[in-house]
Amino acid sequence: MNIVACVKQVPDTEALIKVKADGSGIEEGGIKWVMSPYDEFGVEEALKTKEKFGGEVTIVSIGPARTMETVRTALAMGAEKGIHIDDPALYNADAYATASALAAAIKGIPHDIIFCGMRAIDDDSGQVGSILAELLGLPSVTVITKLDIEGSTAKAIKPIEGAQLLIETSLPCVITAQKGLNEPRYASLPGIMKAKKKPVEVKKAADLGLTVEQKSTVAKMSPPPARPPGKIIQGDDPAAKAAEVIRLLREEAKVI
Amino acid sequence: MAEKFISERNLKFLLHEVFRIEELTRYPYYEDHSKEIFDMILDTALKVSKDKLFPILEEMDTDQPEFIDGHVTVHPNVRDLMNEFGEGGWINANFSYDLGGQQLPLAVVLASRFVFFAANYSASVYPSLASGAARLIASFGTDDMKDLYLPNMFAGTWQGTMALTEPQAGSSLADITTTAEPTDGGYYTMRGQKIFISAADHDGVDNIVHLMLAKIKGAPAGVKGISLFVVPRERIEASGELVFNDVHVAGIYHKLGYRGAPIVQLSVGENNECRGYLVGEPNKGLSYMFQMMNEQRIDVGLGAAGIASAAYYAALEYTKERPQGRRMTEKDPTLPQVFIIEHADIKRMLLFQRAVVEGSLSLLLQCATYADYEKVMDGEDKEKYSFLLDLLTPVAKSYPSEMGILSVSQGLQCLGGYGYCDEFPLQQYYRDVRIHPIHEGTTGIHGITLLGRNISLNGGKAYRLYLDEVTATANDAREFPELAEQANELRDALDTLQDVTATLLEVRKKGNAELFTADATLYLELFGIISIAWQWLKQAIIIRKALQDDATGHDADFYNGKLTTFRYFFDYELPKIEGLAKTLKKHSGVTIAMNEPLFSD
Ligand SMILES: Cc1cc2nc3c(=O)[nH]c(=O)nc-3n(C[C@H](O)[C@H](O)[C@H](O)COP(=O)(O)OP(=O)(O)OC[C@H]3O[C@@H](n4cnc5c(N)ncnc54)[C@H](O)[C@@H]3O)c2cc1C
Repeated sequence: MNIVACVKQVPDTEALIKVKADGSGIEEGGIKWVMSPYDEFGVEEALKTKEKFGGEVTIVSIGPARTMETVRTALAMGAEKGIHIDDPALYNADAYATASALAAAIKGIPHDIIFCGMRAIDDDSGQVGSILAELLGLPSVTVITKLDIEGSTAKAIKPIEGAQLLIETSLPCVITAQKGLNEPRYASLPGIMKAKKKPVEVKKAADLGLTVEQKSTVAKMSPPPARPPGKIIQGDDPAAKAAEVIRLLREEAKVI
Repeated sequence: MAEKFISERNLKFLLHEVFRIEELTRYPYYEDHSKEIFDMILDTALKVSKDKLFPILEEMDTDQPEFIDGHVTVHPNVRDLMNEFGEGGWINANFSYDLGGQQLPLAVVLASRFVFFAANYSASVYPSLASGAARLIASFGTDDMKDLYLPNMFAGTWQGTMALTEPQAGSSLADITTTAEPTDGGYYTMRGQKIFISAADHDGVDNIVHLMLAKIKGAPAGVKGISLFVVPRERIEASGELVFNDVHVAGIYHKLGYRGAPIVQLSVGENNECRGYLVGEPNKGLSYMFQMMNEQRIDVGLGAAGIASAAYYAALEYTKERPQGRRMTEKDPTLPQVFIIEHADIKRMLLFQRAVVEGSLSLLLQCATYADYEKVMDGEDKEKYSFLLDLLTPVAKSYPSEMGILSVSQGLQCLGGYGYCDEFPLQQYYRDVRIHPIHEGTTGIHGITLLGRNISLNGGKAYRLYLDEVTATANDAREFPELAEQANELRDALDTLQDVTATLLEVRKKGNAELFTADATLYLELFGIISIAWQWLKQAIIIRKALQDDATGHDADFYNGKLTTFRYFFDYELPKIEGLAKTLKKHSGVTIAMNEPLFSD
């Protein structure tokens, strides 16, 4: 089976994020970059699918030179090869441009099933998987927590409020992974050493015959508003103070 | 609870900027590796630690091992962890390719272990013990032994142990009495008692392989009669079947800390059916063990530095959030209290911890790189690294162990009353770190080793090489006017060391052996402080260069924070050698003169 997993490199969840003074993005100095956690579920499912049905896993990622580390991490987990699309026109691109670039790369290679994370934890757009499916003319099942493949049918479980759906579709298709789908493996040391020798093609948009087109742009990034300071209720009468706490909880915080 | 237990930035700074481990890849043995590979390995170590080790730190302290029906049960995650470490290739990471390993430099393996130890010392001990025991088989065992034991030990399905200590023989291994009686069957019949053996029985693995010291019947007295054996809990029959090998668990001990890993009393050969298999030649057991001990001892130092690192970050977080008191210059009591990190005394305690943790880690990685270069060099260079490693091992084991305790204690102190309560992990770290001056040789024994043996080894060659290394660093520092003061102080400290050493050797020359080593522990302390000062100056040189190249933002804070810690070490810690030197040069003899009756009341 020819399996593709799309991964994005994002700042570590524990990284201290500082918004640039001019609002054009984040300060990148001192940040640790990792594979977006939902993409890890996608890579793990891709590897499990390969282990079950045979075949190869190709990793596709877009980003600057440092993105290669994330591609290599996926290779160290067990994928066979990678495509790294490194083109400044695509750095911080919107979901449409990103999906177009992924589609252009994936069109050129055989693909029976494509895995994405359900969203990337940096821009939280959650659209790339669906747009990618649309551009490739494939069905997509999003936000899934279980996958079974039988012949050319994919059966996926998708949790919804108060219930879960069992969705069937035909291969090839795009799947976006939610937490719970699996427990991603760690790269092993032998895997890390092998990853170095696995092939990764580095491509520009033009190499893929792509003219980058954005449907939206981030006009400005600003830090979340600072948390208002705590309130200390003054006074000598405990009963009056308690009453004031209740009033504030009810009227201001609206929690009771 | 604090999320951070180590500084990844600092670890990579030491490996790449200070020790430039990538240069090792110029040698054929390491040529398949690269900086990228080293970083991916460290990233993976950190990930495994965050996901699997750190979250069960407290649980492994409270849910202690139990002794039930003759067997030891441990935390249920131990099995999963051993599999993870096995499958991940961590147990055989620095074994050669022909043994199925990855030929990684020890520096990288130990840097990863530092991360594991900091996240959860108890949990990480299981795989590192397996690795140490496997190393003995790999180095001195027959091919059959390697085939029989190594794959399962590397896979994490069989635990390895080091079984040395006996009730009457701890520091004095010459006095072991476990016996091995030769048979015609290609094995020895083993009989004896072993105590305090780490991980010597547990349900997280399918078998236990003891690397056991014993005396062959009729062997010479003392250390010259000690041999090394492989003694599996279940021996492997020709059919492949596992058969109980008469190694009984007599009990487990209940410890102060480091409670997630059991120490076990073994009763060996109660029914005369315990088979042991000789490793290498008879009567060479202790020398085999000691050849492998360097790595084990550096591991202990790393364990101490790791725990102290975790305690430091937990303390640091608290001091940034706890409002208490006001600045000395602030007289208005209606103003809000400041966070305690603003108090000079708190910053002193934090600086002390960072100085100990990062100074220790530097010395430990220094030793690891000596081991790595020793492996690939020839002739005089090889000898140089081997000598330096031998000389410094007691120091790299003992300084972090002893100072780690003080460091964690200061971390606990930063939390005030909460430091003493189990809402915060400091009290656990304080208990956990206490083991390190005891196992793998007590500080007292290492002091005697350093002064009584290592200093004079090969006509004092190792000691002279060390003096040269430290002097070279002091000379390098001259290039930077900002470091001139500390460079001079380090040179003065070396003079003090030489002066103290010379007067002590004089005592020995006069034949007073007891007086010579009576204060060996203090000598080790003095030696340790100077060695850490050396490592801090080494780091400072690299930082000065980096700052010249115009580091900005986060990097500038990192470097300047380290420079301040470096200055702290030279201003607050290095001067302590003067008191030590004064005592050491006095040859007081008061500890010898004191005797039991005088302690009577
Ligand atoms: C948690 C833990 C794990 C352990 N794991 C293992 C293990 O896996 N395998 C193993 O074989 N052992 C293990 N040990 C045993 C450990 O190595 C010994 O406890 C240690 O070597 C000290 O021996 P001892 O306890 O008999 O103390 P002793 O040797 O009785 O020492 C008591 C004190 O006397 C001092 N002393 C002893 N001899 C001298 C001397 N000649 N001159 C000056 N001072 C001296 C010591 O420094 C110490 O302060 C472990 C111990 C613990 C607590």
